[in-house]
Amino acid sequence: MATWLQRILLILLLSISSQQLSANEEADLSELDSEQFEVGIVTGFITVQDFSSEMLWGIQSTFHSTENVFLQANYFQADVGLSSFEQSQGALFSGDDRNFKHLDFLIGYNIFQAEQFFSGTQALLSSLYLVAGVGDTQFGGEQSFTTTVGLGYRVDFTRTTVLRVDYRAHLFDSSLLQEDDSTANSQFSVSLSYLF
Amino acid sequence: MKSYLYLLLPILLLSSWQSVAEEPSVSIEVIDPFVELHTGPGEGYPVFYTVEQGERVTILKRRPDWYEITSEYGQTGWAKAAQIARTLLPTGEPVDLPSVSYGDYLEGSFFAGFNTGRFSKGELDSAEVITFNAGYRWNSWLSLEFERSKFYDAEVRGRYYGGVVRFEPYSEWKFSPSITVGSGSLKISSQPELIPLDIDESSYLSLGVGLSIYVGRNFLVKAEFRDFKIDTDLDSERSDQWQLGFNAFF
Repeated sequence: MATWLQRILLILLLSISSQQLSANEEADLSELDSEQFEVGIVTGFITVQDFSSEMLWGIQSTFHSTENVFLQANYFQADVGLSSFEQSQGALFSGDDRNFKHLDFLIGYNIFQAEQFFSGTQALLSSLYLVAGVGDTQFGGEQSFTTTVGLGYRVDFTRTTVLRVDYRAHLFDSSLLQEDDSTANSQFSVSLSYLF
Repeated sequence: MKSYLYLLLPILLLSSWQSVAEEPSVSIEVIDPFVELHTGPGEGYPVFYTVEQGERVTILKRRPDWYEITSEYGQTGWAKAAQIARTLLPTGEPVDLPSVSYGDYLEGSFFAGFNTGRFSKGELDSAEVITFNAGYRWNSWLSLEFERSKFYDAEVRGRYYGGVVRFEPYSEWKFSPSITVGSGSLKISSQPELIPLDIDESSYLSLGVGLSIYVGRNFLVKAEFRDFKIDTDLDSERSDQWQLGFNAFF
């Protein structure tokens, strides 16, 4: 019985270790783990022009294409309060229309990379970057083509944890208070993402 | 003896599973006079160590344009991909063949990205467009993609989605021309108040020409002109579209 079991175990181990050997021989650069994706959550403030400043929540995914260029998709939403006009005259719209929903696709470029020393001698990788792109904003029953530009700073707290601080301006035309009014809406946010 | 063996079995299985699950690494020999190790995967991060010619190094991870390597003496840092491409495998072959064309390199890869632009003719004239697309590069000259777009005019809002087949015969060029054929469904969600458009919910066919500019190994910028034929209730409506887009391959 014991020899029978031993034989099975031996065959099992041999087959596994031979697989391991052949895998090592064939390993090439394309099989290496590549760290190109990031997914994360975003929170911060959005100032909706003519309305109020509100807290936002959202999700973010980033793809690093080259050393300096990355593509990023963002989605966030915020519940917006009354404009000064509405405070005296009553709300112009209500319900889901008061929810500011924004989706964008951005292209980013790292302009300065450096090591950051927050405490003692531990060096953290960091980078200052610019982003620009286009998106869709839904607010007040309107859907608007939105142009987004921004500046951000990232610090890699661990190998896989990235903290970003962003300032972004979302530019779109709105007819809520005035006909075809160009609005600039500022977003100030932080995001925490996982790199893999 | 028997019970002892049974106890051993899960331990053996576990240890062998662990050795299989070990992350792959590649051992190579440096043939450049030296390879500089940076603290991070970017030109801006400082150099802290230099690996000499003939030394053996182990490659651990990959990031765009950079490899994380460990030297014979245990120093771990980031080396530029271009330098690693000139190193040798234990068999004496170069690690990467730099002469592979863009199209061949991307064969069998997935991609995603976005385009933006505007319509320039017909009822949708001057409507701004955002498109999200994702697809698969079948081989060096053919790719299939799915697109989902929204368009915005002063009074008109709508969306379309569909498929695009892209032919790119000269994908070895940095500036590579392409031809696209697309089809899908287009819907106007918000019509002008006074005179509604002929187009409401329609199918469309598009033909386009484009230029892909390969910025990096897996990143391209593309400019495109497309002619849309949109079926309406009565006849068909023509519209042109100009777009600028970005795609990443993985």
